[in-house]
Amino acid sequence: MGVAPLVVSFVGALLTLGQVASEGPVVVRLADPGTVSSLILPVSFRFDRLSSVMMVLITGIGTLIYLFSVRYMRQERGYARFLAVMLLTIAVLLCMVSSANLLMLLVCWQMLTPLLYLLAHRHEHEPTLDGAFKTFTLLRVTDMAFLAGIVLAYALYGTVEFQDLAACAASTPVALSLWPGGGLEISGVTAVTLLIFIGAMGKSAQFPIHIWLPGSLYAPTPVHALLHAGIINAGGFLLNRLAPLYGLSPATLHVVFVVGMLTAILGATMMLVQNDIKKTLGFSTIGQMGYMIMECGLGAFALAVFHLIAHGLFKATVFLNCANVIHKARQEPAFPHHDRAADEAELSRVTWLTGFLATLVLPLIILLAAHGVLRIPLLDSQGNVIFLFFAWVTSSQAILTLTRLRAVASWKVSAAMLLTLVFVVFTYLFAAEAFTAFLYPNPRDVAALLSAAALPGWLFDGLVVAATWLVVLGWVVVYASAHGHALPIPGWVDRLRIRLYVVVMNRLYLDALYFRLGQEIRRLAESLDPVAWGRWS
Amino acid sequence: MMAFGWSVGWLAALPLVGAVMGCALWGRPWALKHWALAVSLVTLVGGLALAGRSGGLAADVVLLLPAGACFSLMGERLHDTGRHACLLTLVLLGLGLAAGAEQEGSQPILLALLCGLLGALVWHGWQGSDSVPWWGIGTYGIGALGGLLAAIARPPVSTIGLLVSCAVLVPLGPLHAGFVEALRRLPGNLPAFVALALPVLGWQSLAGLVPHLPATVLYGIAALALGGMLSGALKAVAQTRIPHLVAYASLSFFSILWWNAALTRTMALATALFVVAMGLVVSGWLLVWKALEARFGDIDVRAIRGLAHTMPRLSLLWFLLTLAAIGLPPFGVFTGLMGLLLAPTLPFLGVLLVIACGWLPASWYFLGMSQRLIFGPHGPHPLARDLSAGEAVPLLGILLLLVGLGLLPSGLSASGEAFFPPHLAKVFGAGDQ
Repeated sequence: MGVAPLVVSFVGALLTLGQVASEGPVVVRLADPGTVSSLILPVSFRFDRLSSVMMVLITGIGTLIYLFSVRYMRQERGYARFLAVMLLTIAVLLCMVSSANLLMLLVCWQMLTPLLYLLAHRHEHEPTLDGAFKTFTLLRVTDMAFLAGIVLAYALYGTVEFQDLAACAASTPVALSLWPGGGLEISGVTAVTLLIFIGAMGKSAQFPIHIWLPGSLYAPTPVHALLHAGIINAGGFLLNRLAPLYGLSPATLHVVFVVGMLTAILGATMMLVQNDIKKTLGFSTIGQMGYMIMECGLGAFALAVFHLIAHGLFKATVFLNCANVIHKARQEPAFPHHDRAADEAELSRVTWLTGFLATLVLPLIILLAAHGVLRIPLLDSQGNVIFLFFAWVTSSQAILTLTRLRAVASWKVSAAMLLTLVFVVFTYLFAAEAFTAFLYPNPRDVAALLSAAALPGWLFDGLVVAATWLVVLGWVVVYASAHGHALPIPGWVDRLRIRLYVVVMNRLYLDALYFRLGQEIRRLAESLDPVAWGRWS
Repeated sequence: MMAFGWSVGWLAALPLVGAVMGCALWGRPWALKHWALAVSLVTLVGGLALAGRSGGLAADVVLLLPAGACFSLMGERLHDTGRHACLLTLVLLGLGLAAGAEQEGSQPILLALLCGLLGALVWHGWQGSDSVPWWGIGTYGIGALGGLLAAIARPPVSTIGLLVSCAVLVPLGPLHAGFVEALRRLPGNLPAFVALALPVLGWQSLAGLVPHLPATVLYGIAALALGGMLSGALKAVAQTRIPHLVAYASLSFFSILWWNAALTRTMALATALFVVAMGLVVSGWLLVWKALEARFGDIDVRAIRGLAHTMPRLSLLWFLLTLAAIGLPPFGVFTGLMGLLLAPTLPFLGVLLVIACGWLPASWYFLGMSQRLIFGPHGPHPLARDLSAGEAVPLLGILLLLVGLGLLPSGLSASGEAFFPPHLAKVFGAGDQ
C-alpha cells in the first residue's frame, strides 16, 4: 500500500528536479504570514537544485528499501507499524530537505530523533532498547546545539530564511564576547555556524558523538539501509544548505575539516578491528561521513553531496545484501586461507621498482593527468590538492590490496587494473565537476567557498609534506608485508601498536566514558533526593 | 473588561453551585461523577462563548480551566477518594475562575483561599503512612499569607506578597514543596486538574506583576529559577514514582518561565502557551499514573516492564505524551519554548542555560521513565488491562489540544497580540517573494 505513494513521490521528485534545473528555484508557502490561517510555526518549502537532488535520492532509495521491507519484515510482530513509521520517516526527510527556513528544518530535524527511536523496532530486546535510548539522548544534545544556533542566528540577524541569512550575516558583522566584560571574542557568524555544525555532527555521527551509530545496529536491516543511506546524510545536507553562511567563517570551516578528518581516520581504523559485519559497515559509514564532512570543511560542498549520493547508493545496497552474506557465512564460516609460506622469499630490485611504479607512482600520474585534462585547478585551490592526496592514497591502496591476491599478480592484470583506474578517475572527476557546476552554477561561488576554507600556507605545506611521507612509508610497510617481508620495526612501535589496537578495539573507551558520566549524574541526583529509591534504567 | 469580569464571575458561580448540589448525590458515585462532568462541560461551553471578549489574553487563558476539569473528571475512576475529587474539582474550578475574573480587587484573597484549601487538602491527604508533609503544608501557608498581605498591605509589601503566592502556584524553588505534595497527595484525579489550574492562575497573576518588579527582585528570581531548573532536573532523574517525577520536572520547566520573566521583564503570549502546554502534559502524565495505580497500586515503576504488549493503547498515548513532555514538535511545549527562546530581549547566554539546565535533561528522565514501563521484556501482568474508552478519551483530548497549541493559527489571538515579536515576521517569510 505504501509503494504507490513512494513511486509517485519519486516521479514527482524527478519532475521537480527537471523543473528547477530549467526554471530556477520554486518557493511554496502553505500559510500566508499575517493572516488568520498562518501557523505559529512556518510551513514553507523551497525547491531548488540541492533539495530536488536530495528528494530524488530519498524517494529513490526509500522506495527500494520499502519494497525490501515489505517482504523482509512480513513475519515480524508490529509489521504494519514498522512500515508506517518508515513511510513517516521518509516523509519527514522529504520535508526536511525542502524546508525554506531554519525553523521548519529544525522541526523536521527534531522529529527524526524519535522516529529513529521507534524504527529500532525490537523494543523488547534489551540491547536494542539501550541503543535506541543512547541514540535518542545523544541526538537530543546535538539537536539542542542546533536549536541554540538558530536562536543566535535570529538574535543577531533577525531572520532564519535560508536565502536571507548569509546576506544579513555578511552585511552585519557582529563580535560576541565569550566572557563578561570583553576579552575573548568570537565572530557572530562563527558562533552560529559552530553551533549548527554540532547539530550536523550528531546526525552524521561525527567524532566524538558517533557512538550512537554502532549502538543502533540491532535494528532491522532495512532500518540500517535507510539510516546509512538517508538519515545520516542530514549533516552533509545541512552544511550544504548553509554553505554561503559557512563561507563567511573560515574558522568554522577549519573546525569542520579537523572533525571530519578525525572521524574519517578513526572510523576507518575502528572498522578494521570489528568482527561483526554490521558493525564493520557501521564504522565504515562513520569513516565515510567523516570524509563527507571533511569535504565541506575544505569548501567543496558540492563534492560532499556527490559523495553522500554515491555512498548512499552503495551503502543501501551493501546493507540490504548483508543478510545474504551472513547466511552464506554460516554455511561456510572459514575465511579464505592465505598461505604465507607460498609468498616469495625475497624481493628483487626489479620487483620493488615495478611494484612502486604500478601501485604508487602511476596512480598519482593518472590523477594528475586527469586533473590537467579536466582543467581542475590544483595550484589555485588547497582543497583540490588535499583531495588529490586522498584519491592517491585510496587508489594505490586499492591496487595494492588487489596485488596481494596472488591470482592477479600478472602484468596483464596489473595493466587492466591501471586502465580501469584511468577510466574510474576520469569518470569520477568529470562527474564531480559536472555535478558541482549543476549544484553551484556560478563558478565564483565555488571558488569563494574553496578560498574561504584555505588553510594557512605553512600549515598546508606541512600537511602536504607529512601526507607524502606517510603515503610512501605506508606503502613500503604494506607492500613489504604483502610479500612476506617483516621490516625491522623497533620494539616500542610494536608495543604501541598493540596498545593502540586495544584502544581502538574498545572504541576509544568513549562508550564507557559516556556510561560513567551518566552514572555519576544519577548518583548525584540520588544523593540530592533521599526519598528516591534508586534509578530505573 | 468589566463586563467580561462579571460574566466570568457568574461562570465561576456555576461549578461552586454545582458542587453544593452535587453533595446530594454523595451516595451515588457514578451519578456524582456525571453531574460534575456535566457542570464542567457547561462551564466550558460558557467559557468558549466568552473567549475573545476580554480584550486580553491574560483573562482568556483562565477559560481553559474547565477543559482541564473535564479531562480530569472523565478519567476519574471513583475508587476510594473519587467522590471527594469530583466535588473538589468543581470547587477549585469555581475558585480558579473567580480568581481569574478578578485581576485586581479580590484576586489576592481568592488566591489565599485557594492556597489555604490546598494546604488543608495536602494535610488531609497525609494518612500517617510516612512523615508529615510539613514543607508542603507550610508552603501553602506561606502562599496564603502572601495572598492576604497582597490584599491588605500597601506596595511594596503587597507586591512581594502576591509574588510569593505566584511562586507557590507556579512552582519556584524553594517554594515548590506545596506543588510536589499536591501532585502526590490530593485525592483521585484532582492532581491532574491542579497541575493545569495552579500554573495558569499563577501565570495570570504574574503577568500583571512582572513589569512592576524592581531589578533586584528580578535578579533574585533569576538566581532562584536557575537553581530550580537544575535541582528540579536532577531530582527528576532520581525518581521512581511518576507523581514525583512530573512534580520535579514541573519545577524544572516552570523555572524556565520564571527565568524568562526575570530576564525579559515581560510575560509574552508565548509564556501563556508554554504554561498551558506544560500543565496539560503534566495533567496527562498524572492521568496515566492514575490508570496504572488503579491496576497495580502505588508501585515502584521498576516492578513493571513491557506494557506495550499488554496495554498497547495506554502505551501509545503515553509515548506521545512523553514526546510532548520532552518538548518535541509538533506539540505545544516545543512551540512555547521556542517562543520563549526567541524573545528578542533574552540574552543568548540565558538561552543556552535554559536549554542546558531545563529542557535538555527532560529527554533523559521522561523517556527513561516511560521506556522503563512501556518497552523491554514483557512478563505476565495479570492485572494489566488496557485503557477503557473513558480513560483513553481524556488522554486523547489532551494530546489533540497539545497538537492544536503547537500548530495554533497565530491570527487567532483575540487581543491581536503576536505570538512572536513583530519583527519576527521575517522568520515567517513576510519579506520573502
